[in-house]
Amino acid sequence: MKHDFEPKIVAFVCTWCTYAGADLAGTSRMIYPSNVRVVKFPCTGRIDPVFILKAFQKGADGILVSGCHPGDCHYMAGNFHARRRFAVFRKLLEFIGVDLNRLEFSWVSAAEGGKWVEIVTDLTQKIRKMGPLTQFTDLADEEQWSGALSNPELKAVYDQV
Amino acid sequence: MSRIGVFICHCGENISRTVDVEQVAQAARQMTGVAYACDYKYMCSDPGQTLLKKAVAEHKLEGIVVAACSPRMHEKTFRNAAQAAGLNPFLCEMANIREHCSWVHDDRAEATTKATDIVRMLVERVRKNKKLVPITVPVTKRALVIGGGIAGIQAALDIADCGHQVVLVEREPSIGGHMAMLSETFPTLDCSQCIMTPRMVDVINHPRITLHTYSEIECVDGYIGNFSITIKKKARSVDMAKCTGCGVCMEKCPQKKIPNEFDKNLGFRPAIYVPFPQAVPNTPVIDREHCTKFINGKCGVCQKVCGPGAVDYEQQDQLVVEQVGAIVVATGFKLYDITEKPKGSAIKGYGEFGHGKIPDVIDGLTFERLASASGPTGGKIVRPSDGKEPKQVVFVQCVGSRAREKGISYCSKVCCMYTAKHTMLYKHKVHDGQAYVFFMDARTPGKSYDEFWRRAIEEEEAVYVRGMVSRVYQKGDKVVVMGSDIAVGVQVEIEADLVVLATAIQPRDGADTLAQKLGISYDKYNFYSEAHAKLRPVECATAGIYLAGACQGPKDIPDTVAQASAAAAKVMTLFSKDQLEREPIVARVNEKFCVGCLACKKVCAYGAVEEKEIRDRQGNLIRVVAYVNPGLCSGCGTCQATCPSKSVELDGYTDEQVMAMLDTL
Amino acid sequence: MNNSTEKAEQAVTIDISGYDVATAEIRSEAKRLLTEKIVDAVVGYQAGRRKGSAVPVIITDPAQAEKLLFSPACVNNLSIYLTKAKKEIRAKGKLAVVAKGCDLRALAGLVGESQFKREEVVIIGVSCAGVHRAGIQPGEPLTNSTIAKKCRECSVHIPDEADLVVGKLPPLPDLPPKEKELMEKLDAMTPALRWEFWKEQFTRCIRCLACRQVCPFCYCEQCLCDRGRPQAVDTSPRPSGNMGWHIVRAMHLAGRCAGCAECERVCPMDIPLNLLNRKMAEELKELYHYEAGMKPVEKGPLTSYDEKDDQSFIK
Repeated sequence: MKHDFEPKIVAFVCTWCTYAGADLAGTSRMIYPSNVRVVKFPCTGRIDPVFILKAFQKGADGILVSGCHPGDCHYMAGNFHARRRFAVFRKLLEFIGVDLNRLEFSWVSAAEGGKWVEIVTDLTQKIRKMGPLTQFTDLADEEQWSGALSNPELKAVYDQV
Repeated sequence: MSRIGVFICHCGENISRTVDVEQVAQAARQMTGVAYACDYKYMCSDPGQTLLKKAVAEHKLEGIVVAACSPRMHEKTFRNAAQAAGLNPFLCEMANIREHCSWVHDDRAEATTKATDIVRMLVERVRKNKKLVPITVPVTKRALVIGGGIAGIQAALDIADCGHQVVLVEREPSIGGHMAMLSETFPTLDCSQCIMTPRMVDVINHPRITLHTYSEIECVDGYIGNFSITIKKKARSVDMAKCTGCGVCMEKCPQKKIPNEFDKNLGFRPAIYVPFPQAVPNTPVIDREHCTKFINGKCGVCQKVCGPGAVDYEQQDQLVVEQVGAIVVATGFKLYDITEKPKGSAIKGYGEFGHGKIPDVIDGLTFERLASASGPTGGKIVRPSDGKEPKQVVFVQCVGSRAREKGISYCSKVCCMYTAKHTMLYKHKVHDGQAYVFFMDARTPGKSYDEFWRRAIEEEEAVYVRGMVSRVYQKGDKVVVMGSDIAVGVQVEIEADLVVLATAIQPRDGADTLAQKLGISYDKYNFYSEAHAKLRPVECATAGIYLAGACQGPKDIPDTVAQASAAAAKVMTLFSKDQLEREPIVARVNEKFCVGCLACKKVCAYGAVEEKEIRDRQGNLIRVVAYVNPGLCSGCGTCQATCPSKSVELDGYTDEQVMAMLDTL
Repeated sequence: MNNSTEKAEQAVTIDISGYDVATAEIRSEAKRLLTEKIVDAVVGYQAGRRKGSAVPVIITDPAQAEKLLFSPACVNNLSIYLTKAKKEIRAKGKLAVVAKGCDLRALAGLVGESQFKREEVVIIGVSCAGVHRAGIQPGEPLTNSTIAKKCRECSVHIPDEADLVVGKLPPLPDLPPKEKELMEKLDAMTPALRWEFWKEQFTRCIRCLACRQVCPFCYCEQCLCDRGRPQAVDTSPRPSGNMGWHIVRAMHLAGRCAGCAECERVCPMDIPLNLLNRKMAEELKELYHYEAGMKPVEKGPLTSYDEKDDQSFIK
């Protein structure tokens, strides 16, 4: 089936659980959309919020961060640290005005090939409906402050500062 | 780096069926830095690898991307091939176009596009790869075992028998631990001392075991392969070199009424004593707290009667430093003392059971001493209060264990079995006696275990009442046990002569302080944590430290011995090479930019980050930076994601490598 | 200040007579500390060139103690002088520092991040009713319209954990919070509108990096955002890089920022930077019950974890 818009999805995954889960989806010949590009890390603990920012700036329409279930981390606590880091980073992006539907987090174990397929498929479909993410890429084209605020409510708040 | 070779595998038809491999190769040739690209039917085959090696030489390749299956499958194969071709193996990367592409997508055009993208990402990555060399750490082939119970003894003997030096440290004056206190052991009812004492003797006679009893770990420095241990040898007041173990001092000591801890205070011992007759070493120690000489200076009998002149009142605590390469922690357990609510503990205590107030309410270990042929009663089961033989004995299981509301939610694992054993030992000694057991569940998995428990009920006529005990109180010379029988749904009251509580197993006092010295982690109960519950059950997360026995969780003797041997095997694996070789995927600190906020240290689960002082030539401290010990780092990279300035970088997964991949989006 | 609530608010003058008490006490304490050689230098405030203004000063001579003062113009957070970024000051030896409640929180944070040891520094805490906001003529009275936004919502008027607390706190008027109100308004908007808001704010940014210069927690030797290989954030003052810079900054300060709002005060483009930090602080409180305090803590909320942390956002 062809779609009007095929989003770019980037998945940041840990090598021990989610990458292996995605491998299992492969060996099980489960079919899913081809939009996702996987970047492998030893652990979700290594995944820096800056990477998410960078991926958005480089044109990713949706991002997935996925690692081992709590308690299963190969490095004991990397995913616990990541969980906090991303809980906070999400809140920051939300406040800045990024639609959090574009940023997904999951725990996918090495045995959960099916879950990997489901998560990637759902995310792809969701982002297809949402359309491209232009916030960050548009910024790159802008040279300076436009000075124009379209919304009166916003203008009021803006002036309040 | 700009001469990259890209090798695209067909994997028979596994890849080429869905991915147009020639098109991918064509696209790869256009990528920046790619000097050569080709496709081949089976890259992993001998001809495939030969093709790769030839291409490296012919095209002077400086990096390789093999687009094939998952790196989990063949990364090692191709890195070895790269190495054989004269490249650093870490300059070879795999692009997973099978599991992550050809097998999961059915549209040929889409799959080809994706495969090309994956190759592009990996080409960019490999251009930023650096040569990495495996890390080697020298190994001191000498082990420290902490704890001289059955776990420590087993581990020490196994390691020593394998030809390595072992230092065994025991806190008490004798090794033996709890097992030496037991009467008979389940499920075979063989005498504990009969199987234990020969092993103790093996330890002291072993040419490769250095034994430090009455000693504690003062401090631990270093890391895997290279620990430096400071041991505090407490003053024994007896010169071990001179003492012959004749025992005259103990006989002549006028202080004879000191409760004997080994006998759970049922018997007495002198102020100069060995804990039990078969003690190893058989050298007495002076209990300075109770010795008249130390209290007011008005004695000195033992010194006078000692032929070899071994008694030394002036002896001081002594610090000994031992260098070892591995540590086995086998500090064992203690029983939950329900006499009173422990101070500052979440544990609520069992005041309602009268332990400590009613003399005939005892715990399981006390019963062991009563039943032991070498115990204070010579194996005769009597009541502590009046020495009479109890005719009705009530055993209560799960006292402390599995009682979340009381502060401990775990199962102590051994109580079901030892209570069943107690009922049998009792029946064997008091033929007309009756044993009752209050229990919640009987947990008897294990070889011959359930049969053993059934035997207690079916042949030895123990009466098992399923239910909880609410109160225990003294009534005349009887001890009344009030409880419920939930099977029948009635309240039960039993007038017992003796009540035995199967109290919970807890880690030894000070388990947490020792863990802090060792840098190992422990759970909320202070049981030591293994690195992985399933796959690394005897290793600590801190490299080079291993666990054996009940310090890691409640365990019976066979499990303890098995775990101790497993820990010993891990130590021997470590000692099998002169140098420990580790993957070079470790974090490194850029000392120039590190400002020493030590966030990396806070998030490191392996204790691999240390503080490093940077000094000028005059030795003045300039600043403190973080230092990652490559011997301990496991390469998770959490430190780097946490470091605000990225002054710590994980080799093999640097920001530069990741960003290069993202730049291809 | 053309906001409607502002107009409705009656003029309230805040009694700052306690600041004179503080000034006297700071002087005598500084003199004592220097005379008795308990410290080698005192970091405090002195009068600036314009009447009524105040600037940071470092004195080493007890005779200079008379120069020290505390007034509504003492806006600076002096804790930055104790970070490793200011090596020359640390080199003077043992230091005493004058700190308002908000500054003390920063000091506590810096101790937690091993920037100095608590026992190495004598902290002279000041009971503070508030200081001027940016752009106020020196010497103006402290009123509801001249007070800094952060002070309206201050919860740390008295720096309890200081070695010594000087001054006297007057009865504090009940000032309606502004930052909180603004935050609520933004929270109520759609993400798209919020983006529009921040985009307009950040695109004005000229990347002078005064916010970084003045931040007690931006003490890195090399800022990630200055790095070229790899470049995390575009370094030119254009919309894309600006957005990146402010997001990375807010993330790096999350769980560390002590809320002194110096970044916002010094911003020449009047970008409400503290709003971001404040938002992060609120989220950390909500998620992990963490609040920056006056006592150093071993681990911050983002260098620790709890196995039971919320993960409702994770599939």
